[in-house]
Amino acid sequence: MAWEVIFWIIFFIINIALIASNLYQIVCLSDLESDYMNPYESSSRINAVVVPEMVLHGVCSVLLLLTGYWFMFLLTLPITIYNSMLYMNNQHLIDVTEVFRYVDAEKKYRIAKLAVYLSLFFLVVIRSMIAGNFTTILEPFHPTNEDLDILSHVLEF
Amino acid sequence: MVTENPNHANNYPRPAATPFAPPQSNTPFSSSRPVANSAFRPTPPPNTPPSFPSGPVVGSEVPGFRPMQTATRPTPPYGPPTTGPFQRFPTPPFQTPPPPRTAPPVGPPTIRPPAFQNHQPQVPPPSMPMGSPPQTMNGMLSNSNMQQPQPPMGPRPGHPAAVRATSSSAWPGYPGMQSNTATPPPPSGGYAPPQPTTSTPFQGGYAPPQPTTSAPFQGGYAPPQPTTSAQFQGGYAPPQPTTSAQFQGGYAPPQPTTSAPFQSGYGPTQPPPVASPLGMYVGGPTPPTGGMQGLVEDFSSLSIGSVPGSFDAGLDTKVLPRPLDGDVEPTSFAEMYPMNCSSRYLRLTTSAIPNSQSLVSRWHLPLGAVVCPLAEAPEGEEVPIVNFATTGIVRCRRCRTYVNPYVTFTDGGRKWRCNICALLNDVQNDYFAHLDATGKRVDLDQHPELTKGCVEFVAPAEYMVRPPMPPLYFFLIDVSIYSVKSGMLESSLTQPQMMVVSDLDDIFVPLPDDLLVNLSESRTVVDAFLDSLPSMFQDNVNVESAFGPALKAAFMVMSQLGGKLLIFQSTLPSLGVGRLRLRGDDIRAYGTDREHALRIPEDPFYKQMAADFTKYQVAINIYAFSDKYTDIASLGTLAKYTGGQVYYYPSFHSAIHKDKLRHELARDLTRETAWEAVMRIRCGKGVRFTSYHGNFMLRSTDLLALPAVDCDKAYAMQFALEETLLTTQIVYFQVALLHTSSSGERRIRVHTAAASVVADLGEMYRQADTGAIVSLFGRLAIEKSLSYKLEEARNAIQQRIVKSLKEYRNLYAVQHRVGTRMIYPESLKYLCLYGLALCKSTTLRGGYADSQLDERCAAGFTMMALPVKKMLKLLYPSLLRVDEYLTKASGHGDSEFEKICTRLPLAADSLDSRGIYIYDDGFRLVVWFGQMLSPDISRNLVGEDFATDFSRVSLSERDNEMSRKLMGILKKLRNGDASYYPLCHLVRQGEQPRENFFLLSNLVEDQVGGMNGYVDWVLQIHRLVQQ
Repeated sequence: MAWEVIFWIIFFIINIALIASNLYQIVCLSDLESDYMNPYESSSRINAVVVPEMVLHGVCSVLLLLTGYWFMFLLTLPITIYNSMLYMNNQHLIDVTEVFRYVDAEKKYRIAKLAVYLSLFFLVVIRSMIAGNFTTILEPFHPTNEDLDILSHVLEF
Repeated sequence: MVTENPNHANNYPRPAATPFAPPQSNTPFSSSRPVANSAFRPTPPPNTPPSFPSGPVVGSEVPGFRPMQTATRPTPPYGPPTTGPFQRFPTPPFQTPPPPRTAPPVGPPTIRPPAFQNHQPQVPPPSMPMGSPPQTMNGMLSNSNMQQPQPPMGPRPGHPAAVRATSSSAWPGYPGMQSNTATPPPPSGGYAPPQPTTSTPFQGGYAPPQPTTSAPFQGGYAPPQPTTSAQFQGGYAPPQPTTSAQFQGGYAPPQPTTSAPFQSGYGPTQPPPVASPLGMYVGGPTPPTGGMQGLVEDFSSLSIGSVPGSFDAGLDTKVLPRPLDGDVEPTSFAEMYPMNCSSRYLRLTTSAIPNSQSLVSRWHLPLGAVVCPLAEAPEGEEVPIVNFATTGIVRCRRCRTYVNPYVTFTDGGRKWRCNICALLNDVQNDYFAHLDATGKRVDLDQHPELTKGCVEFVAPAEYMVRPPMPPLYFFLIDVSIYSVKSGMLESSLTQPQMMVVSDLDDIFVPLPDDLLVNLSESRTVVDAFLDSLPSMFQDNVNVESAFGPALKAAFMVMSQLGGKLLIFQSTLPSLGVGRLRLRGDDIRAYGTDREHALRIPEDPFYKQMAADFTKYQVAINIYAFSDKYTDIASLGTLAKYTGGQVYYYPSFHSAIHKDKLRHELARDLTRETAWEAVMRIRCGKGVRFTSYHGNFMLRSTDLLALPAVDCDKAYAMQFALEETLLTTQIVYFQVALLHTSSSGERRIRVHTAAASVVADLGEMYRQADTGAIVSLFGRLAIEKSLSYKLEEARNAIQQRIVKSLKEYRNLYAVQHRVGTRMIYPESLKYLCLYGLALCKSTTLRGGYADSQLDERCAAGFTMMALPVKKMLKLLYPSLLRVDEYLTKASGHGDSEFEKICTRLPLAADSLDSRGIYIYDDGFRLVVWFGQMLSPDISRNLVGEDFATDFSRVSLSERDNEMSRKLMGILKKLRNGDASYYPLCHLVRQGEQPRENFFLLSNLVEDQVGGMNGYVDWVLQIHRLVQQ
């Protein structure tokens, strides 16, 4: 299943990017808190990656949905909804003038996101291994696609 | 309430609890009475001597005692009298208590306590009548124990004694006494009088008592009010006799003696005599009485009808506390730490810092400070300037604290210990001085930084990132049609003559650089330009305003230097970036979750611009002139985050507002301003500032960036404890403002203050500062209104007041019979009223229709920056009656003027239709003419127009004595505070809607537009507290 492997690789890359972006934002916020960075710089750095991250997340979500990985899609769904809510209310960017009031909340939100992305990351790694190896290994024993599907369902939780 | 007290418990519980509270009715009382009596008697006898031990104990035990609650019903009457002074007294007594005990034998104080205790225990059963008295007694006792020392000592003793005597003997006398004694008497009353009183009430039938009670309370409160007393007398008087009789009956044995002795004893203040005869009793209670109440009850109270339905009857509006003397700053704090900076600069919400998290969690009021770093110092108290030219500024190595009066020198003067972090620092050679025998530096008198809490250091080059900037003012003027029409151009532009440097720019032609001119060199050019502006645009019919692009242009010009940008805007920005929509008319938004969105900037452009301006040290002041919606919420954001302020002139017209604009613009340009400033407040270990409120931008977690600061700006901040328990005895606060003065010198202004750490919640209440608390409340509520509904912001204020009073009540309810009285600390007696005033302030009042959105927002921005005194004045403006002064023939002197400066309660009841009143909230003056006022007076004051519509009449000096006097008063009122120019409005009674708009809706004690009146508000709070 070549396309499947390709998808897993794409997911993997997207996931890494999301994790990196979140880590970067958290670092910026901590720097801000400990006064290593001024609010102007910090918020402009964070704001620069917020929208790309949202887009990336949306793409990832949609891909999961289209490829039929329901469980993982559901895992990303809450963040998708929350992101779109923030965006609609125009609250997705950091407000320079009030950063310090919200810095704690913003940090917690990003740490929570990071946790989700990390768990997603492990799933992706496992699944890509399965997709890459198991299927090819098991293929001779399961000539029909149907059987394979059943098996994969089991593996898919 | 009373029940719990261990010691007192017995005594109190019964009385207080049953009879009083719920029953209210006579029955309880009567029953109680008997009981009480019985109880009493027993008590006294045994008590006196034996009780002693316990008594003292009690007293000592409970500092709280003072609070005593003498309150018990009977007491209450007295109690009320207790009011301020007394309450305070109590405290001291506490401390003293121990001695008293010992003293007992000797002094009266001791005696009393014992007696009390004894009494109490025994008494308990009697409950009601006695109860109340007993309570008092108990309270007294405890207090007395504690107090005793004090009471006797207090000057009051005399009074009390007298009072008591009077009271006991003749109630009628009481009233008279009241004023003095009234409060104090309670204790004594508690004893001698109280009994009577108590009994009376009972006898009289409790029913009446309610009123009575209230009366007493009121009296307590009222202290000021004779009325109360009167009531008392009236109500009580009759009863008294009875009471006494009863007492005697019940108490009889003791009483007679007691009372007699008491009175006598008390009168003199000496417990001893009394003591012996009566027993402890007398001595104890009585002495205190006068002072007693004070001593006894640590709190103030308002008696409120015991029956929920009887509120109206039970609460006399006259006795409610009112800040008619303006802001009263707590003085004890300054006395305790004389080296602290003045309260002008720094005010703590409570000068007793809680020592543990648990204590903080029981203190429901804000814990913080209000700082006004550049407050105007009166003549002779200028801030000393210190120049450490050679040594560099002396600071702690670790925490960077500036050297201040609280650092200690050790090691022969070679080291100094930082008072904030306790680090030992080396003293530089140049700064070295020997220590004298007491460990003080010998050259102390040459170092103001070591003796004064407020100094200004000259900052060397390492405190600059660039050479100090010159003061720079840039004017951004809207020349659209409305400005031309309203005459804004002419009036505003004749002003800027005092500036050192001015920038000119034709708004529509953004040119970078070289637009700055030096005023002294190019004065004529500037003047010519300003003069030509109106004519240049007189044919302008453009209704659009390109505010955003103009702002960007200004930014480009100013970003090189920083300075102050004054924006004159008279229409809604409608072109280019930052254009805004009309959104203020959306009545449907009110009451929904979207309501708050109207009060925050619509376009993030404004916040972003504000942040950028702050970054380049530009402060923005907004002068808004439109009578239509201008979206102050968005424009004001520019001022909020750049440390500026918003001036709002609704329906501006140059003929009317000329003086106001001229004065305020001149003030803005000439007041002492600090440029490119940053402010930080440091405090001792274990305490941390968590949030800041005001017009500024946070540069890092604890650094406020203030492109321009002046004497009219104050900043509030809250702190929290970092550790569960503070181990230090004193917490120090140090505010440091690094700025460039208008003379172009880099300076650091440092304010240092110390505050004690306490473990007692009562002490925190005692040292609370209503002004600072209200300031913080206001700022918090306004901030809340930016993200929630107005309703919620108002509720939040009420909630916190209720919670804090409830906590306070819990503190004292146990040992004192609080009954249905509402109790509150003397220091916070105005809190309820100010809370109400906040809810009725322009920013927070009502809903859509109650004030214009723009006005609301402008008031909000203004209040966020107001110093404490100004804030309180705005919340509870003064109302003066002036017709008598005007019509009286003579009377020019200041003494005459002083006389008219008697502030009246802000209620429609204060307005007499035959008079002239001036309402002054610091932002506007309203002269109110009564309907029945003689036409001659009106004619003298406003000329022949006196019968026409006052909206078109302006007050000017006419050629007659009366008019000159009135103008004299207005001038004096204006001179009292130069930060704003209160414009004078004339209003005639019955002239709607102007009367309503200018005056009636601002009478905070009245029920206006669905908001509670003062009485209802107090009752509501009381009800919530009791739940």
